Amino acid sequence: MIHDESFGSPERRRTLTVVVLLMFVLLMLRLYQLQLLFHVELDKKSEENSVRALTKDPVRGYMYDRYGRLLVDVGPSYSVTLVPAEFEKQSTGLLSSILQMEPKVLEDRIARARTYSPFLPARMKRDVDMKTLAAIEEHLPVLTGVSYQVESKRIYPTLARASHLLGYRREISDAQLSTASDYYRPGDLVGVAGLEAHYESSLRGQRGFEYVSVNSKGQIIGSFEDGRRDKIAKEGFDLLLSIDGGLQAFAESLMTNYSGALVAMDPSDGGILAFVSKPDYDPSIMSGVTPADLWAELQSNSEKPLFNRASLTRYPPGSAFKMVLAAAALQEGIIDENYRINCSGGFRFGNRTFTDLHVHGSVNVVEAIQRSCNVFFYQLMLKVGFDKWNEYGRRFGFGQATNTDTGEETTGLLPSAEYYDSRYGKGKWTQGFLISLAIGQGEVGVSPLQMARYAAALANGGIVYRPHAVEFIRNKETNKVDPVRHDSTLVGLSPHVMGLIREGMQRVVQAPGGTGGMARIHGVISAGKTGTAQNPHGKDHAWYIGFAPFDNPKIAVAVLLENSGFGGAKAAPIAGLVTERYLYGQLIRNVPKAAPAKKGAPKTITQVVQ
Amino acid sequence: MLEYLKEYFDYRALLICLGLVVVGLLSVYSATYDVGAAAAFDKQLVWAGIGLVALVVAAIFPLKALQRISLPLYIVMLGVLLVILVIGHTVAGSKSWIGVARGFGGQPSEFAKVTTVLALAAFLARTAISLSNPKHLILAIGIVALPMGLVLAEPDLGTSVVFFLMLLPVLYWAGASNFVLAAILAPLIAAAGALFGTLVFLVSLVISGALLYAARQNRFAAAVAFALTLAIGLSVQAVYERLPAYQQKRISTYMNPASDQKGAGYNVYQSKVAIGSGGFFGKGYLQGTQTQLNFIPEQWTDFIFCVLGEEFGFVGASIVIGLFTGLLLHGVNVAGVSKNKFASVASIGITGIFGVHVLINVGMSMGLLPVIGIPLPFLSYGGSALVANMAMVGLLMNFYSNRKEH
Repeated sequence: MIHDESFGSPERRRTLTVVVLLMFVLLMLRLYQLQLLFHVELDKKSEENSVRALTKDPVRGYMYDRYGRLLVDVGPSYSVTLVPAEFEKQSTGLLSSILQMEPKVLEDRIARARTYSPFLPARMKRDVDMKTLAAIEEHLPVLTGVSYQVESKRIYPTLARASHLLGYRREISDAQLSTASDYYRPGDLVGVAGLEAHYESSLRGQRGFEYVSVNSKGQIIGSFEDGRRDKIAKEGFDLLLSIDGGLQAFAESLMTNYSGALVAMDPSDGGILAFVSKPDYDPSIMSGVTPADLWAELQSNSEKPLFNRASLTRYPPGSAFKMVLAAAALQEGIIDENYRINCSGGFRFGNRTFTDLHVHGSVNVVEAIQRSCNVFFYQLMLKVGFDKWNEYGRRFGFGQATNTDTGEETTGLLPSAEYYDSRYGKGKWTQGFLISLAIGQGEVGVSPLQMARYAAALANGGIVYRPHAVEFIRNKETNKVDPVRHDSTLVGLSPHVMGLIREGMQRVVQAPGGTGGMARIHGVISAGKTGTAQNPHGKDHAWYIGFAPFDNPKIAVAVLLENSGFGGAKAAPIAGLVTERYLYGQLIRNVPKAAPAKKGAPKTITQVVQ
Repeated sequence: MLEYLKEYFDYRALLICLGLVVVGLLSVYSATYDVGAAAAFDKQLVWAGIGLVALVVAAIFPLKALQRISLPLYIVMLGVLLVILVIGHTVAGSKSWIGVARGFGGQPSEFAKVTTVLALAAFLARTAISLSNPKHLILAIGIVALPMGLVLAEPDLGTSVVFFLMLLPVLYWAGASNFVLAAILAPLIAAAGALFGTLVFLVSLVISGALLYAARQNRFAAAVAFALTLAIGLSVQAVYERLPAYQQKRISTYMNPASDQKGAGYNVYQSKVAIGSGGFFGKGYLQGTQTQLNFIPEQWTDFIFCVLGEEFGFVGASIVIGLFTGLLLHGVNVAGVSKNKFASVASIGITGIFGVHVLINVGMSMGLLPVIGIPLPFLSYGGSALVANMAMVGLLMNFYSNRKEH
């Protein structure tokens, strides 16, 4: 007999029953938690487990010029793919030599693809040429698992390059992946410059998916739910540009031998007609995947072909800025058209003498613009004062971003009293600093794009538009063409003041003694202003801004030629040719051969002697 | 007639057992659907047939005779365990399989559980045996410790855990004092705590100490027990270092399963996903993507509960848990009403074995407990376990019908 009293006692029986019931409760609670509380989340995980999405890349949107000509097309591009599980490791050497990739790089790609799924084709190299494809085809028996797929790349069917305007795409970086929308995946091409970047979300379309069921090894075992959940790729939207493709190509040819920029704009809405930055590059080398060596060369090239001079350079505008001061003085009632000063060819301020290259005699504001009289503006600056000058500069859009859609830009620099205070210290700078600003020299910095907008505002009577290259977006889903809204601000000059300034600018081109006579066009009255940006590092930079026809402006142009000396000599003729080509649809004079930039051209400049 | 059946025929145990076996066969079929379902299902069906025979034999075996052959059976089983330690071939990192016939495998440790429970019950049922006698207590523990040690040496951690945990309810039922139970439990808590780092180890020592103090009969015994606890806890840490890598990995993964979803924590993660994605009604038989696409390794053996959870949902899984709970309550009940001490203790032992298997297996499938590789009774694929489990149900039925005999 068992002696222990508690053997099989009712109390111990109860305890064991309770233990069993507690176990039941514990397991049921956990079951409830997993299957009812966490169900949605775990169900999603289970689906991710067993369903893979094969992506179908959409066709990227096209770009058309203002006359409906195709500027940016889409064509086939061949990507070499590889199924990691089917690929024989010993063929790595052969494949890497065919693809001209480092074996290490190829191995890394294969390894990365394997972690996603060893049984799905993964892209090894984008945009291979026909020769590579032929070599792949030839070695296909040994290159098991290797195949290729057709994707799309950019094609540029016209003579216009517009490299900096159109921009390009590159494989998305890890940094972008972490900040960009969920849409992107590693290996995606994404617009990183120009219109390709700014309109990325419109252009790219929507990727499609084909869902397949896979087993735990990643092998495809069939379509998922008979393809009911598949999504067809949606085409990207087309961009309808304000660009005139012919004008663009022509402007590029005129700028071929220069380093600089040209921006032509429709003064009636701020639409960009031509956008040139030189030197540039052939955009088609960026259309698929840019070979690393070519990319490195573009980046290290001392001429900086990737640099967008049209909106990223910041040079003093020189005399082309004088209209800002004139506008401030006239609009504020500080002077009128009868105010005259006598230009003796120099101006003493304190112990410094600021000179003019010419002795202009008695000039009023119109004549001062026409003949670009420095002495007139030196004195005017002292009357107008720093703050008013700055205010009018701002009204014309300087010292701030234009919010263009064409890509990266500089805000430029429009100095103010606060700026000088913080830069030099309160009271450490003198009125003498202003003298340089009066004629657009010194610390004032502007971009060609800002200058084109300024020219357009002078042309249209004072409306500062947001510069833009895209007028409409064609929505491929609704098949509607939607206008892109572009805002504008007003400079706020009276018609009388505007008339005086425009008169001066008209005389710059049309009148004898004007500095921009080289911009003259047959049968059309043009207006403009030359400028020369002092360059402490070398030859001065030449500016020209202008618009035409004078009475009903259709085009405003800004030209910047780096290290090219006096603005009237080289920049004005280019602006004239572009204007003529646009207004007449062709050149009505004999086409000049694009003159090579001569070295050591004579210095004919308004100079500041210090 | 019906009254007689109700009186002597334990239809409850039989129905629960058959219900679980049917669910098990369905689950095994689904789990192996595309990896040779027919073969696995057919084998399991044959085993179920053999199990049914074992069940009937165990149910009608004369009780006294059973009690008499318990010890010889136990010794034979020890010998078998010893033999396979030497010559057994390795399956899944463990030597516990021996070839019985082509295509079939036998796992003696499954049967060793039954023989050990019977031997322990027979020992405790002897006259003049009292658990308050330390000599008797040590003998009782030794009966379990011997096969447990042999199984652990295979190495089969899971089954040896079952041996150990089964001992607790048996001793409790047989009247061991609270102090004895505390003295056995305390080292277990300390040993478990030792695997989770120093802080947890210290906390587990405090709990063990408190337990011993509360159940103490004299201070000296309590102090000795605590010293033993400390020694075992410390040596577990040392042993852990020497465990085979796969066991270590399972333990460390349990501590932080999220750390390694593609590696060691893969099973637990996929298992939870499978069960959770089943939802209330489940995805339907043979429709579970986790199951059918083989995301869970060994889903037909240790992780069979996932198949259930995914394809039959909350409804199906809770019915199975309910059936198991019913079986356990029934086992406690049979123990309570049995007038024969041997039958009573053996009932608790069998109930303990089922309970430990269900708790650990279902618990690990749902990520509550470490992945200790033990099968879910009646459901997991595996012949020896099914036959042994059905035989144990047969024993319960036997004890039930003989409950009024001394």
